[in-house]
Amino acid sequence: MASSSGAEGASLDDYDSLIATTDVELLKRAWRNEKAAPEILRFEFHLISRVKEQIQLMEETVEEKSSGGNNPLSVSLYQMDLDRTLFLLRSYLRIRIQKIEKYMFHILKTEELWNRLSKDEKDFARTCTGDLNRHLEETVLSKLPENYQSVLKQSVISEEDDMVPEPELDTFVLCRSKEYLTGIQLEDGPADDRSKLFEMEPGVLHFICYKSIKALVESGKIDLL
Amino acid sequence: MYGRTACQLVKEFASGDEGQLVSFNSDLFQQVVAECSQHHLELQSLIRKIQEEGLDIQTARNADHYGALIHHLALVRNKRCLMAYVYNRAETIRNLVWKIGHVLPQEIEEKLCHAEEEHFRKHSTALKSYMSKVLVDLTVDMVPPKDPYIKVRVLDDIGDGILLSDDKTANFACHSMHLLKRTDAEQFISRGQMEELTG
Amino acid sequence: MAGQSNHELSLFSAEELEFIAEDEIVDIVPNLKMGPLNFISGDFGPFTPQIVTQVPLWLAIALKKRGKCSIHPPQWMSVEKLSQVLETERDSQEMSDQLPFHYVEISRLLFDHARDNIPNLYMVRSLIEDIRNVRFHKVETDLEGFNGRTIAVKIKNLSAMEVNIVRPFIGKALQAFYKHDSPELIPDPERVSDRRPQVVNNAPRRQLRR
Repeated sequence: MASSSGAEGASLDDYDSLIATTDVELLKRAWRNEKAAPEILRFEFHLISRVKEQIQLMEETVEEKSSGGNNPLSVSLYQMDLDRTLFLLRSYLRIRIQKIEKYMFHILKTEELWNRLSKDEKDFARTCTGDLNRHLEETVLSKLPENYQSVLKQSVISEEDDMVPEPELDTFVLCRSKEYLTGIQLEDGPADDRSKLFEMEPGVLHFICYKSIKALVESGKIDLL
Repeated sequence: MYGRTACQLVKEFASGDEGQLVSFNSDLFQQVVAECSQHHLELQSLIRKIQEEGLDIQTARNADHYGALIHHLALVRNKRCLMAYVYNRAETIRNLVWKIGHVLPQEIEEKLCHAEEEHFRKHSTALKSYMSKVLVDLTVDMVPPKDPYIKVRVLDDIGDGILLSDDKTANFACHSMHLLKRTDAEQFISRGQMEELTG
Repeated sequence: MAGQSNHELSLFSAEELEFIAEDEIVDIVPNLKMGPLNFISGDFGPFTPQIVTQVPLWLAIALKKRGKCSIHPPQWMSVEKLSQVLETERDSQEMSDQLPFHYVEISRLLFDHARDNIPNLYMVRSLIEDIRNVRFHKVETDLEGFNGRTIAVKIKNLSAMEVNIVRPFIGKALQAFYKHDSPELIPDPERVSDRRPQVVNNAPRRQLRR
C-alpha cells in the first residue's frame, strides 16, 4: 500500500523509498530505533502523519464493512491489521513521551535534542518541566539557604548545571548497518584505540558505544535493534 | 556525623522495591532541612571571622576556610539528598499513570505528601492534554495485540443456546471445539470448563 | 504488566519479539476463495483454493485457526536442514547464519498453531532445542572473552531472542570495562584546591539512588 513520500533530507524516507518499504515497516523501524537509543531521536513527522491518516481511513473502512454485511472473516482480519498498526503508533509515541518525562531538564536545555521534538511534545515538555520545577521549589528549594536554591546547580558557585540527569550516551547498543560503512571514529574506549577507525559490514550485528554511531543513526544509515 | 540523616532519607527511598513507594517521611525531611540551615549559619559565621581578621576570602587557606568548606560541602550533600529523594519519588509517582491510570487508589495516596498528590494530578492533566492533541490514547495497548479469537475445547457439558458477545449462540457440548472470542472464553476457562487449544 | 517491555533496559519483551516475528512472510495453501486484502501493512491475496500464497505469519495463523488454510513450514524447518545446521553449530565456534533472525519465535508460533502442518514435528522441535542450547553456550563462551581491549563487538549471526538475553550483560560488561580502564577516573591530587565540590559525572542523582 502507500509507500514513503517525498524528500525530507536525512530521514528514514529517502533510503527506503528506493525499495518501496511500507509505512508500517518504516514505523516499525522507527519504533525499534527509539526503543534502543538512549536519547530521544528525531520525530518522524511525515511518517506519523501518513500513518495516522491511513489508520483513520482504515477505521472508516472497517466500520463500513462490518455494517455492510461483508464477510465477517475479512472484517476481523482488517481489524487485526489495524490493531497491529495502532500498537506500533502508540508504542512509538509512548516511548518518546517517557523519555521526555525522564530527561526533561536536559532536553529543555540542549538545543539539539529540543529540536527533535514535535510541537505537541514541546508543549508537553514545557508544562511538565514547569510542574516539576515548582514541585522541587515548593518541597525543597524554598526551604534552603539563599545561595543553594537553584534547581540545576548545586549552588551559586557551580560553574555548570551539575544537577541535571542526562541519558548515558556511552551505553552500548546493538545495531546493524545497511551499507558498508568505514571511517567510524570510536568516541570512547582506551585512549590509544580512539584514533582507530572502525568499519561495519552491512547486515552484521555489532555492539558498539552509542556515541560513536549517533550521527549515523540520525542519518538513517544504521538501525538499532 | 554530617550527612547521616540525609543518607538515611535516601536509603529509605532505595529500600522500597522498584516502583513501590514508602510513605513520605516528613520528620526526617525536616531534620535534613534544619541541618542545612545550621550548616549555613556556621558557614556564614566562619566567613565573617575570616573577614574580621582582615584576610581575603578568595585566597585565605586557614582552618576557618576549611571549616567553612566543610559546612558548604555538607550543605550541598544534604541538598543533593533532598533533591534525590523528592525527584526520584516524583519519577515513580509520574510512572503510576502508566501502570495504574489517572486515579490513584487510596493505599498509594496515603503515602504521598500533599505536594506529591498535586504533582501527580498536574502530570496526569499534562498527559491527557498531549493525548488529546495527537488524538491517540497512549495508556492503552501496552502489550502487542493478539488475535481476539482463540480455539477452545469444552471440558464439561455447559449447555446450548449460550449467547456470545458477537450475538451468536453456541452449543457447548462436552468435547466440542469452538473458535471463540478470548473475552467470551475467559470465564469458562477460569472455571475449568474449557481449555485453550494449541496446535 | 507482563508483556510490557522494561523501558529502562530498552529490552523487548517476549511478546514484542513475537509481534515482530509475526510479520515474517510464509507460504500458505488456502482452502477458501477470498478477495485481496488491502491492509495498511500491505496487500495480500487474492485467495484461491489450492493456490499457494504469501502472507505474514500472523495472518497465516489467523486463517489456519479458522480452518481456512494450511501453512507450509519454512524451508529451514525440516529435519534435514536442521540436522545440518546442528552439525555446523557443533563443529565451529562461529555462529551459523543459516537460521533467520527470528527462528525461535517463528518455530514456536508454528508449533503452537500449525502442529499438523509440520512433518516430523517432534524431531524438528528437538533439533531446534539442541541448536538453541549449542548457540547459547557459544554466546556464554564469547562473553567470557571480553576484556578491556574490547571496544566494539561483532555479533555475527545471533538471533533476536539470543540478542535479547545477552544484551544487558554485554552492555553492562563493556561499560564496566571502560569505567575501570579510563584514566580520567583517577583524581589528580594537584587539582583539588578550590571550594567547588568535586562532581565526577553529570548525574549525581543517579549515584545517590542506589
